[in-house]
Parts: sequence; C-alpha cells; structure tokens
Amino acid sequence: MTTITYIQPDGSPRTVDVADGWSLMQGAITHGVDGIVGECGGSCACATCHCYVDEARLGDLPPAADGERAMLEAVAAELRPNSRLACQIKASAALQGLRLTLPDRQE
Amino acid sequence: MIRFDPYAPAVDADPFPAYKALRDAHPCFWSDEARMWILTRYADIVSAGQDWQTYSSAQGNLMTELPNRAGATLGTTDPPRHDRLRGLVQHAFMKRNLESLTEPIRDIAATTANALRGQRQFDFISAFSSKFTVRVLFAALGLPLGDEQTVRDKAVLMVQSDPVTRAKAPQHIAAYQWMQDYAASVIAERRANPKNDLISHFSMAEIDGDRLDEREVLLTTTTLIMAGIESLGGFMSMFALNLADHADARRAVVAEPALLPDAVEESLRFNTSAQRFRRCLQRDTTLHGQTMRQGDFVCLAYGAGNRDERQFPNPDVYDIRRKPRGHLGFGGGVHACLGTAIARLSVKLAFEEFHKVFPDYQRVQEPLSWMPSSTFRSPLRLELTVQ
Repeated sequence: MTTITYIQPDGSPRTVDVADGWSLMQGAITHGVDGIVGECGGSCACATCHCYVDEARLGDLPPAADGERAMLEAVAAELRPNSRLACQIKASAALQGLRLTLPDRQE
Repeated sequence: MIRFDPYAPAVDADPFPAYKALRDAHPCFWSDEARMWILTRYADIVSAGQDWQTYSSAQGNLMTELPNRAGATLGTTDPPRHDRLRGLVQHAFMKRNLESLTEPIRDIAATTANALRGQRQFDFISAFSSKFTVRVLFAALGLPLGDEQTVRDKAVLMVQSDPVTRAKAPQHIAAYQWMQDYAASVIAERRANPKNDLISHFSMAEIDGDRLDEREVLLTTTTLIMAGIESLGGFMSMFALNLADHADARRAVVAEPALLPDAVEESLRFNTSAQRFRRCLQRDTTLHGQTMRQGDFVCLAYGAGNRDERQFPNPDVYDIRRKPRGHLGFGGGVHACLGTAIARLSVKLAFEEFHKVFPDYQRVQEPLSWMPSSTFRSPLRLELTVQ
C-alpha cells in the first residue's frame, strides 16, 4: 500500500492507501475522492484525471510517455509544468506520501 | 464441491449466486469447465487489469477466442503495440469529437421509436435496440446502407459459444468469417475512395513508418463493428430490462431525464454485458493461497466484481442514485472500452427518445431466454407491453 494525499477541488485533503500497482486515478475513484472523473476507465483516452503533482516530488515519478503528453494537451483546467494524468501513475513505495492537487474542473 | 461453468445456460441466466460463492470462499478458483482461473473480487480484478505485464491480453481476451484473432486487435495486444494501435483510433471516439454525432443519433432514436407508435407489445431488441445500434454504428463509421440486418445478425452470432462443446460452433465461426469479409469489402472501398473518416485513416495508417499489418487492419475493423453492434445493443437490452423491472427507477428517469446517465452507470454495474474477459499469465503468480502458473489463462469476471459487497454496499440492490464510480462495466486499465463515450451518449439519447413515446412499460416473459455466451450476457428477446 502507498499512502497518497489528494487535495480535492474545495481544498480539503483526503489521505488514502492505494494498492501498489494501482493507478492513482483508480485509487481516488475507489475511495470516493472528489475532483477526478476517469471517464475512459484508465486507458489514457479522456484527460479527465488531470492532477498537479507536488513539484518537489516530480522526480520520483517516471516521466510521461508520448500518449500521456498528447492527452495532457486536452485537459480542461490550466495546464502546468507539474500536470499529469493520474491514470498513468502507478502506486509504489517511491511515491509514499505523495500529494496530488486536483483541478477545479475535469470536463 | 463448488463448480463454475461459464458455458452453462444457468450461468447465462443468472451468474450471481455462483459469483458470490466464489468471492466468499474461492476468490481464486480453477474452473475445470473453462480450463482457467476465475477471479471474482473487485480488488483482484482491478489489480490484474492494471498489471498487463503479468496478465497479458496477447493470447486473446474473449473467454472463447475466435480463431486467428489474438494479437491483431486492441483487446488482444499488450503495450507498447496496443498503445500505438489505440492511438490511431481513439481520437475518433473521444467525447469532444462526438458532438457532431449527437443530433444524428437523436434523430435515429426518435425515428426508430416513432415507428413503433400505436403498438401495444413488441420485442424491444428486434423492434428498437437492434435497429438503433446498427444505424448508429453505420452513421459513426460511415458504412454503406443496405446490409444492416445481416451485419447485426452476424455480430450477435459471432460472440456466442456452444454450451455443449464449450467451443465456437460452425455457425459462430461462419458469422465471424462473414464479418471479416464484410470488413474487408469496406476497407477496400475506403482505400479506393478515401474519405475523412476512421476506417479510411486506419486502413492507411502507419506506425513508426510501417504500414499496419493487414491482419491488424482487418480484425480491428471487424472487432469495432462487432463491439459497436453487439456490446451496445446487449447493454441497451439490459438497461431496458432493469427499467422495466424497476418501475420506480423508470418513473424517475422519465420524469427527470437528467437522471438517465446515473441510471446507465448503475445498470453497467448491476447487469454488466461484458461479464468475463480473459488474460494469460506471463509468470507464476500466487493469489489467496493458490499458485497460478505461467501460461495459465485467467478470467476477470467483471460482472462478479461489480456485485462485490467489499466495494459496493448492498450490491444486489438496483439503485440509480448509487453513482457506482469505478465500476467494471467497461472493464478497466489499458484495455478499458474504447467506446465508453459513444456508448454513454447513444444510450442516453436512445432512452430519452424512447421514453417520449413509451414512458411506461413492463416485461412479458418470465423467464427470459439468454444468449449462449461465455463472455457476454444479454437476453435474446425482451417482450415489453407498453402504455
């Protein structure tokens, strides 16, 4: 299990344990976190699991692949250098304690 | 001793008691009849779906796979090949690129529903959902009109399996071959007269400078047609069944059509049409004390995960206000359904228009006759009386 804190759009934090190997989108949806839609189910095809990763921890994540970078162009909220798609980030020990801030809109 | 036979007509009709027994006592179960492991708990199915390196799709994803199909479609390849194939087609299926289809789909729904005006009883599947889904798919893919009924009949036949031999029967293989020939004729026509549409682009696409393998073009197109018709139509019949059986839910969505999307999500969970897909293990894996071996096939029973009380409280209650986020009605992970957005849009529009003509309906048959299929679940006929 990896502990992840999601900052929901209203500013409230939700800290949950995500099974290793699960995407951070799946972890949020399964625990009822607000601010993530994940409409396509995790196939990197909808850009509705946009999140902002704590900048200090960006280096702990594998870089975005081509498909994710292309899909990031389609996010609804502001695209920032620390924008990622949560369906493309898998929980692992390296991400213990990671904070993700969720944007005000996904669609 | 517990058994689970995904070919049994009793499982076609009602798999849920068996699923519960498996979830509670045998969450990683070897089925002698299916010759594979059966995973039934939500968390185990999600984990497997996320781990494509261990649970590979490259040996096929249908429980009873069609010959020579594995490795040539989106559902039967692994990353990175899968991701490149998907990149070629998913643009056409993104929500924002479907807006131009909204009015045509609504027109198809209204026309199909209005044609039934005045009738007191009809088979929802042959009279409405089949006609609607075929016309929508033909509009979405720009297919030439004329063959709609045959295409629909073959799509429904090719996903079935024989409950006695536990394999595809000759008529199922023949339907699959017919669909390949049909897809080949469409591909050839598009190559001769390219349009700005999905099949034209896909049939001439390249990956890293290489043209797609001809088998990939043919079988991916074949699968898109099959899924567009059979999966969408199958789900619509399950949704109509749920609304016919749950009068309160039907009255709520008729009075307030904005509730339809929530009702669709609950039906995707409650009566998942793609009940079971399979994977092939790439390494020995131990789960719940059972050691599964490299090369073993594993069934991800989405329909069982969607009734897992560990994830969904009171899972056998149909509740359109549940908002079952994360349900497995479209699968999950890299292989989550390509058509989620067009399916959601189409079902919403279809029932908005159907309910304008028929706000009140009940089903006639008890019991229903169910499609013989180890993978999909839907009734063959759904007689409704309407007011």
